[in-house]
Amino acid sequence: MGLKRRVSFGAILLCCLIVSTHGIASGQQKFRIGYADPLTGTFGRDGNLVKDAYNFWAELINAKGGIEVKGKRYPVELTVIDDKSNAAENAKFTEKLITEDKVDLILGGFGSDSVFAGSAVAEKYRYPLISGAASSNKLFERGFKYYFSTLGKATEEVRGCVDIVQILSPKPRTGAIIGSDILFTSLAAEGFKKYAAQDGIEIVHFELFPITLQDYNSILIKVKQKNPDLLFVGSHLMVAMKTVQGMKEIDFSPKMVAFSYGPTVPDFIKNLGKDSEYVVAASEWAPNLPYQDPLFGTARQFNENYFKKYGRTPDYVEAASAAGAYAMQVALEKLGIAPPVKEEDRVRLMEELHRQNLMTFYGVVQFGADGANEAHPPVAVQVQKGKLVNVFPKKAAEAAPWYPMKPWKER
Amino acid sequence: MTLLPITICLLIVPLAGFSGYLVRLLAMIFLWVGKAGCWNILSGMTGYIDFGAVGYYGIGSYATALLMSKAHAPFLVSVLVSGLVSALIALPIGLPTLRLRGAYFGIATLAFAEAMKQIILEFDKTAGVRFFEGPHGITLPIGPGNEFFYYFGFGVMVVVIAMTYWIRRSKFGYALRAVREAEQAAELAGVDTLSAKVKAYMISAFFLGLIGGIETYWLTYITPHMVFDVLITIQMVVMSLLGGMGTVFGPAVGASFLTVLYELFHRDFPYTYTILVGFIIVVVVLLMPKGIVGTLRKR
Amino acid sequence: MLLFLQSLINGILLGGIYASYSAGFSLIFGVMGVINIFHGEMVMLGAFLTYWLFTLFHIDPFLTLPLSFFLLFVFGYLVQRFVIHRVVEAPPMISYILTFGIHLIIAYSALWVWTADFRAVTTSYSGLNATIGGVIIPYARLATFGLALIVVAGLYFLLKKTETGRAIQAAAQDKEMARLMGVNITRTYALTFGIGAAVTGVAGSLISTYFIIFPQMGLSYTIMAFCVVVLGGMGYIPGTLWGGLILGVVQSLIATYLNAGLSGALTFILLFIVLIVRPAGIAGKGIVD
Repeated sequence: MGLKRRVSFGAILLCCLIVSTHGIASGQQKFRIGYADPLTGTFGRDGNLVKDAYNFWAELINAKGGIEVKGKRYPVELTVIDDKSNAAENAKFTEKLITEDKVDLILGGFGSDSVFAGSAVAEKYRYPLISGAASSNKLFERGFKYYFSTLGKATEEVRGCVDIVQILSPKPRTGAIIGSDILFTSLAAEGFKKYAAQDGIEIVHFELFPITLQDYNSILIKVKQKNPDLLFVGSHLMVAMKTVQGMKEIDFSPKMVAFSYGPTVPDFIKNLGKDSEYVVAASEWAPNLPYQDPLFGTARQFNENYFKKYGRTPDYVEAASAAGAYAMQVALEKLGIAPPVKEEDRVRLMEELHRQNLMTFYGVVQFGADGANEAHPPVAVQVQKGKLVNVFPKKAAEAAPWYPMKPWKER
Repeated sequence: MTLLPITICLLIVPLAGFSGYLVRLLAMIFLWVGKAGCWNILSGMTGYIDFGAVGYYGIGSYATALLMSKAHAPFLVSVLVSGLVSALIALPIGLPTLRLRGAYFGIATLAFAEAMKQIILEFDKTAGVRFFEGPHGITLPIGPGNEFFYYFGFGVMVVVIAMTYWIRRSKFGYALRAVREAEQAAELAGVDTLSAKVKAYMISAFFLGLIGGIETYWLTYITPHMVFDVLITIQMVVMSLLGGMGTVFGPAVGASFLTVLYELFHRDFPYTYTILVGFIIVVVVLLMPKGIVGTLRKR
Repeated sequence: MLLFLQSLINGILLGGIYASYSAGFSLIFGVMGVINIFHGEMVMLGAFLTYWLFTLFHIDPFLTLPLSFFLLFVFGYLVQRFVIHRVVEAPPMISYILTFGIHLIIAYSALWVWTADFRAVTTSYSGLNATIGGVIIPYARLATFGLALIVVAGLYFLLKKTETGRAIQAAAQDKEMARLMGVNITRTYALTFGIGAAVTGVAGSLISTYFIIFPQMGLSYTIMAFCVVVLGGMGYIPGTLWGGLILGVVQSLIATYLNAGLSGALTFILLFIVLIVRPAGIAGKGIVD
């Protein structure tokens, strides 16, 4: 009968599945590191930056033969799975990497939503997870021991964009804050608010909108009418692009517009062309800061080598991600952990990471009890003549900020 | 029946030392069979294509998340309450919507699910409270391992399949089929079609809510975007369609096939999987509209 | 007052945009009862066609419109003729599932080939606007509004005043009778679908000049088209203008005076209520199953 045949087919399929999922033992002379990362979807572009950063690190260390443990070198093999900008998928793939692929170690992908979900799985299986691309405060409020971030907290990350008012002249007095309603961007908006208060900027409008909102103009005209000197936006790439487009369409030219994230992704300038000029964005790193380490060299060398490999300079998320991978490498070397990495090794790794106080090309990496990196001096960058330039603070600055923003009609 | 040895095998899998991944995969399949089966109970049987089924899944997810994280309620209580809440909400929604025909019903149910998502996203901000946590999502305490969800999923799947079987053989099921084949004639003959439709809708909603609760506990973190995702409804539709709408084992076949296909392709060829699903749908609709089970049965 | 006017104008223009890409959807449903779930993909295809022509060959977006019209017409005609036509006699649910499958194929093939990157067509005149009495009117959106009017008027003229249009209407009203009168149903349906696809593609082309585009954008446009057409009345072409305008204005005003999040929630709640209370749409002229 048809049904019986159906069910038998299912049983055969099941058997095939069981057979195929039995682990294939491979030569254990390398470190197998896996991570789930958005390579497509809303954060696809942003997630690809993280992948580039990890690949950059892996190639550098493999060029030396691999991570050195007790005199022997073990190359690194990276495995990435696309979570399609979906947090539930990230959790699933992280679990797959751990339980099925049995990777030695896990790294974090891009974005607070994905990392939030993935790190919960990592915590369950006691795999330390270092991310350089997620900073929502909530990530650190879960009492996790195995979650680490080379980025500081979202609310602190945006500080540079606000503190910059200290060197702007004439000093702006009012500001408006908008942002999409997801984890990172809403926290970034909170951060803007906090520092605006500290820097004496009066916030005349604060609004979060759904990430799925199609038309920004109806909000922007509201903000324009209140005539703020500054506009702060909690954003990722897509929101940032849409905001600039909308601002031009309704002829809204505040004296400065700053984004929590987006402009540092190459697509921003590529797609918007001249419209991207004057835009300011938050950053945690600058290539002319006096940082260095034995693997990447100085911050400037990292910047140049990255450009040589990828044809573009890295944004701070890429720097933070590479630094995170490096922090893990250093901890492994110090503890003398060789592959295949066992559970108790990972527990020791977690403890070591908490103790670590490491100088890297990215700056100090020192994870607090909650996993967050001690705050780096926040930096602000600006698009000037089609390139991103550090404009704040003075010691990291490559150029003075262009202020005020030239109104659209005058460009 | 071949069902018995299979059931026994499935029950033993987690204890037989198979990889954790297999346990997880099977658990996922069970839960998808459950979800597709719920959709099948309403849409498969009556022909009313529900595009908003995920609404109840999401309601159930949130009910469990809130109960377990804020009220520290035990799991069992939470998921049962989730099912009940979903079923209760299904009543006032179902009554007006199930009077609509065809396309309008589909759009209305879709609008319902989207509206639920938006409401949960905006409620806290609008009412000035901290309850649903909007886009930030809710975190649950880390729960038990995959075996727990394996057995729970298995149990729910069995219940849904049994329910489908029982409904099909009952007078209630007959009424539902009458709705699908010739609704107006049935009404003229005195069948209370609205009551039958609403009942099916509520049963479907109950189990969807329950499954939502189970999966929330498994995932430990939910946001409105995750649990009200229209793609979840779509998967349910395709699984039932492929397996055979209105049949008892159709959803099981469809869910198993698609989930395995997904696992095989998804990682290395993410787009290929979806494009394949698209082709499967086109082929099934054009050549095998009764689905796999339905077509095999006819021979 | 100025804020109100600005928000209102914004809403009207937005409504025009909605109407421009929803008219085709209404036409297709009105004539053959097909709910086309890959409708949004036609917007996407038109948008990407313009994007690539602009990016690779520096052809101005407005010059790509005729090509967009033609190519999408051919696409729509062929898909209807060889795939959808097979299920035109079957219950409507079959057509949604079929068109849903086609949606997956098109959207994910596009994703595979073009990647998920967000793109924008930024010309030297992008974002340019006129200021009338203090109210800003972006040109590109105004052009789309104009297109909506042209499309609606054009379709209306086509249906009422031309031989082909009358054949389409006949096929819509009573297929069997039309067939008996010598109307080639197969060709008429394919033609209708082609026209619906063509106008939608052109709307997509224009949209690429002020909205970000990406391969998966289609579904949200399809959903919006549903909303517009339900409000305006399914199958009633002039209704798409009303449906679009109402939605656009309501969304804009709510976003400006309350908050943007509510505009989303209210759109769906409004849709839900209209379906229950007045399924034939605002003007009451829509087709109710």
